[in-house]
Amino acid sequence: MAVQASTAPAVVEHRQSGMPTPLVGMLLFIASEVMFFGGLFAAYFNSRATHAAEWGPPGGHELEAWPLATILTILLVTSSVTMQFGVAAIRRGDQGRLRMWVGLTLILGVLFLLGQLYDYSQLGFGISDGIFATTFYTLTGFHGAHVFGGAVGLTILTARAMSGQFTARNHVAVEAISMYWHFVDVVWIGLFFTLYFLR
Amino acid sequence: MATTTLSPRAEQYQRSWVLDWLTTVDHKKIGIMYIVNSFLFFFAAGILALAIRSELAVPGLQFMDETTYNEAFTMHGTIMIFLFIVPVLAGFGNYIVPLMIGAPDMAFPRINALSFWLLPLGGILIFSGYLFGGAAAEGWTGYTPLSGPTYAPGAGTDLWIIGLITVGTASILGAINFIATIFKMRAPGMTLFRMPIFVWTILVTATLILLATPVLTAGLIALFIDRNYGGSFFDPAAGGNPILWQHIFWFFGHPEVYIVILPAMGVVSEILPVFSRKPLFGYRAFVYATIGIGLLSFSVWAHHMFTTGVVFLPFFAFMTAMIGVPTGVKMFNWLATMWRGSISLTTPMLFAIGFVAMFLIGGISGVMAAAAPVDFHLQDTYFIVAHLHYVFFGGSVFGVFAAAYFWFPKMTGRRLNERLGKVHFWIHFIGFNLTFFPMHSLGITGMPRRIADYDPTNTGWIILNSLETVGAFLIAISIFPFLINVIATLINGERVGDDPWEANTLEWATSSPPPPHNFDRLPPVRSERPVFDLRHRHDAEVLTAEGLTAEGGH
Amino acid sequence: MRRMAVPHSLRGVLRVGVPLLLMVLLGGCLIPPEPETKESQAVFTLYNVIFAMAVVVFLAVEGMIVWSIFRYRRKDDRLPHQLHGNTLVEIIWTVIPTVIVLTIFAGSMITLGTVEARSPHPAVTIEVDGFQWNWTFRYGTTDNDPSNDYSITGTPAKPAVMGLPVGEPVHLILKSNDVIHSFFVPHFLIKRDVVPFPDPNHHNELEFTVTNPGTYAGQCAEFCGTAHAQMVFQIQAMSRSDYDTWLKDQISGAAKPSATAAPNAQVVKISADKLKFSTDRLEVPAGVPFVIEFENKEAVQHNIAITDEGGKELFRGDIIQGPQTVKYNVPALDAGEYTFLCDVHPTIMFGTVVAK
Ligand code: HEA
Ligand code: HEA
Ligand code: CUA
Ligand SMILES: [Cu+2]
Repeated sequence: MAVQASTAPAVVEHRQSGMPTPLVGMLLFIASEVMFFGGLFAAYFNSRATHAAEWGPPGGHELEAWPLATILTILLVTSSVTMQFGVAAIRRGDQGRLRMWVGLTLILGVLFLLGQLYDYSQLGFGISDGIFATTFYTLTGFHGAHVFGGAVGLTILTARAMSGQFTARNHVAVEAISMYWHFVDVVWIGLFFTLYFLR
Repeated sequence: MATTTLSPRAEQYQRSWVLDWLTTVDHKKIGIMYIVNSFLFFFAAGILALAIRSELAVPGLQFMDETTYNEAFTMHGTIMIFLFIVPVLAGFGNYIVPLMIGAPDMAFPRINALSFWLLPLGGILIFSGYLFGGAAAEGWTGYTPLSGPTYAPGAGTDLWIIGLITVGTASILGAINFIATIFKMRAPGMTLFRMPIFVWTILVTATLILLATPVLTAGLIALFIDRNYGGSFFDPAAGGNPILWQHIFWFFGHPEVYIVILPAMGVVSEILPVFSRKPLFGYRAFVYATIGIGLLSFSVWAHHMFTTGVVFLPFFAFMTAMIGVPTGVKMFNWLATMWRGSISLTTPMLFAIGFVAMFLIGGISGVMAAAAPVDFHLQDTYFIVAHLHYVFFGGSVFGVFAAAYFWFPKMTGRRLNERLGKVHFWIHFIGFNLTFFPMHSLGITGMPRRIADYDPTNTGWIILNSLETVGAFLIAISIFPFLINVIATLINGERVGDDPWEANTLEWATSSPPPPHNFDRLPPVRSERPVFDLRHRHDAEVLTAEGLTAEGGH
Repeated sequence: MRRMAVPHSLRGVLRVGVPLLLMVLLGGCLIPPEPETKESQAVFTLYNVIFAMAVVVFLAVEGMIVWSIFRYRRKDDRLPHQLHGNTLVEIIWTVIPTVIVLTIFAGSMITLGTVEARSPHPAVTIEVDGFQWNWTFRYGTTDNDPSNDYSITGTPAKPAVMGLPVGEPVHLILKSNDVIHSFFVPHFLIKRDVVPFPDPNHHNELEFTVTNPGTYAGQCAEFCGTAHAQMVFQIQAMSRSDYDTWLKDQISGAAKPSATAAPNAQVVKISADKLKFSTDRLEVPAGVPFVIEFENKEAVQHNIAITDEGGKELFRGDIIQGPQTVKYNVPALDAGEYTFLCDVHPTIMFGTVVAK
């Protein structure tokens, strides 16, 4: 029973239809990140449920949504929009606009990070000051780390855009980073409402 | 393993074969490295198991003090699960899945190499606790607050956390790779419902890894923050909730147990049809059952927490019991596959049948524990230790050996010696039952797990424990025929051609071992058994049964 | 491949039969201990029903495996009929396990009702404190009458004993201040975790009615650190009248005032923190009573006991929970060397007493 007698032609080509493989990879990665933040959010809500009465920052400190947190939110949401403009630009093949929008996104992201660091310095409580503080810093800290990761990606993207590596047909990396960036943005919106408004 | 036979014509390469293996991104070499690495960890964790069994052979503390014992079972459980059984199955997946779906490689070859190399790194981190004042000793479940800074101040637990995060990241990356490969790299004609069951189980497993492991990572990070930065997630003294850890851990932990059983089920579902010369009975039902188990596995985690007094028992008891139904479907599908077949008892077949026979026992003891009031008695006793070894060892490890004997000819072109293989199987099988079956009895009569010493007045326990120790050494002895077999075969084994078993799936359509790009030519894929179809392409009766015509196509 | 069928299957029967037989023998008793509470009788019944079903499923499936191996062994090269599936049988074998599983579930829920039932006025309420690594049982803490208070802390050498009346509902309040423990009595077919909840008013509870007088062993079942294996205790169930006398004896025995020391007795100081004594050597005067001033700096329970070479106990101070300082009045010791230790942590907390 010799299988080797195969007479079929060697068709080792693979379908290129549908979403490009790197984007599939990025989507899957984001799915795992959703579960990661899901775990942290679950920890937040569980801790909150066990402390329904006295939930909040320790020792009379207050968590103010206005002005800093709101401004940060606006920064990050705007950056998602600029990122999308960048993607639209390169889909049209407009390399110049791509550079501009991606660069702008990067700047907004860095501003967000600086703002958050400033916010930390003003809060007046630390991670070890009780369960609220622990969950607060862990959630925002890990979100910040993700923004930082995104910013690194954007930096590489900007550099590659500068050297003209992307075209209308070949810009998977731009799409991938933009997906990730939107994800980070969505997480922040969730955080913003959970931490500042869900009283 | 004998790299010489495996690296394709070494003289073509300028670089040394060592460097070649260290830098490879070929899924086949990575797969083999996964398997070899996992077996090394298996031996390490197995030796720890022998230490545990030696200590328990008779009551009293003979070989170690309590702390050493606690470290031993913690490391044993952790290493067996995270560095042996998960990676070894991922290793077979790595080698076989691209071949089975007719792909030249995995979707992301370099990420593939990265996810492999993170494993030994993580393993070394976990073990290195022994060098820094003692390894973690809180059990593989690391319950808080015992694993918190107050009660486990040593560096061992921090290393355990970091090591597990590393290993977890490796499996997440691997999972992304598997899913992308299966969705994007299938050969023409390889529709989802023509994929071999093994590929299906890897797909569901990868999805479970993707969704469950990040939650453990989040929990481990929270624990790390508690331990090192004064956090209070799990510290009741500071307002944290220790039960939260159990929720997080088991939300991951229960899917994890299906992560390690599903691919083994896939292996068995490939082997039983081949050696029964029949198609798998109820292919679609099998696929749906696999998906069903995957879905259910996220809603049963609190059956590990029945005695905590704070979980909603009816829901979790119900879901847990229900998971027996899709598993039962698989069980009966396997039986029906063998039924009226033409069965030859080769070594891979023996291990596959061993899987079915032994996993059944583990499954039944699982369902017994799912009855919440009964679990009030059984929880944290040796009954649970028996359950977990019947599913892990009787299930997954039997599956691993079945896979090893089955695909060894694919990987090397040589078949392992059948006589030695059977010697291995029978010592293994008897040793296994001798070790773990009496544990049911110990547990039911009330012997708690995780104790270094037990009641010296209970002669029943002493007899059973001594027998178990004998059994454990029998298992260890059975490993030697296997190792000798592997080495002897690599040096001077019988060369058996490309398709020695008359198998069904695409990996047997290429040479053994396959060329670097896997396929020179692909047969047409018109059913879930393309190589079977090819072998019987002039056999009209068979083709009609397959729903195909001699010309091909539907 | 063409061997004679008879010797073949005979060998096979041996191959499979012997291990199976061995397994049954080794399994020995797969039935739980005699149930000694009302609740555990329900669990016992449930267990036996489930076990019977398990045996049936086990025998049916293993039987089919063995049958297939012998009946359908490969005899020639012919390809068997290529059967891909059959919807009807697949439905059947989905429905049957579903029915079994639902039966088990229903039985579990009914039994759960029995096990978790609470009586409005339990006859005895005992506070059970699990700590690393032993138990304290406190009686009479739920009323305002200090005269009936009694508490006992176990030591590895002398496990705590919980006296109970039979035939009356007993209520346990399970408390922990350190890690999770689990209260497990095999003969009661029950265990319940002893969890340090963040809310100090939240505790797990357990209720049962013992049916037969007797002594039943118990043990911590949740892994809780180094000496987890030593967290054993005992339950002594007795008739109501025996129980009343037992409790009275215990209360008066425990409250026995220790001999007052001479006002000018020498005071030796020692403290305990982080499961360690401040010193491993105490120097005391020989031949006269003296005082040990013992400061327990942590929330863990400790005491000081003195034994001679042979391990015979010469003095045993009350076990106290810190932070707290007590004065132990110790009777005179002859000149020589003795061992002092913490009864609660004898394997890690000990030292030498030198009397001269
Ligand atoms: C590969 C790993 C694996 C697998 C597959 C399973 C499968 C199952 N497990 Fe197990 N389990 C573990 C690994 C695994 N488990 C581990 C490691 C632990 C301990 C963790 C620790 O604490 O350290 C554990 C603990 C554990 C507990 C907690 C015990 C305790 O701590 O108190 C429970 C309770 O419900 C349970 C239940 C089940 C059930 C119902 C299944 C089901 O999926 C089984 C389904 C299979 C069958 C039922 C057999 C085939 C079916 C038929 C033939 C049909 C007919 C059958 C019936 C109608 C019943 N398991
Ligand atoms: C895949 C998972 C897996 C596997 C395969 C095993 C395999 C074995 N396990 Fe274990 N086990 C667990 C997972 C596993 N275990 C888990 C999760 C726990 C719970 C831990 C916890 O409580 O936290 C546990 C706990 C556990 C206990 C309970 C400890 C306790 O509660 O106090 C015991 C006791 O007997 C035990 C025994 C064994 C034995 C004898 C084997 C044997 O089958 C091992 C056989 C292997 C060998 C004997 C190695 C052979 C190697 C050689 C002979 C050397 C050759 C070397 C060279 C050539 C270099 N295991
Ligand atoms: Cu307390 Cu184990
Ligand atoms: Cu589980």
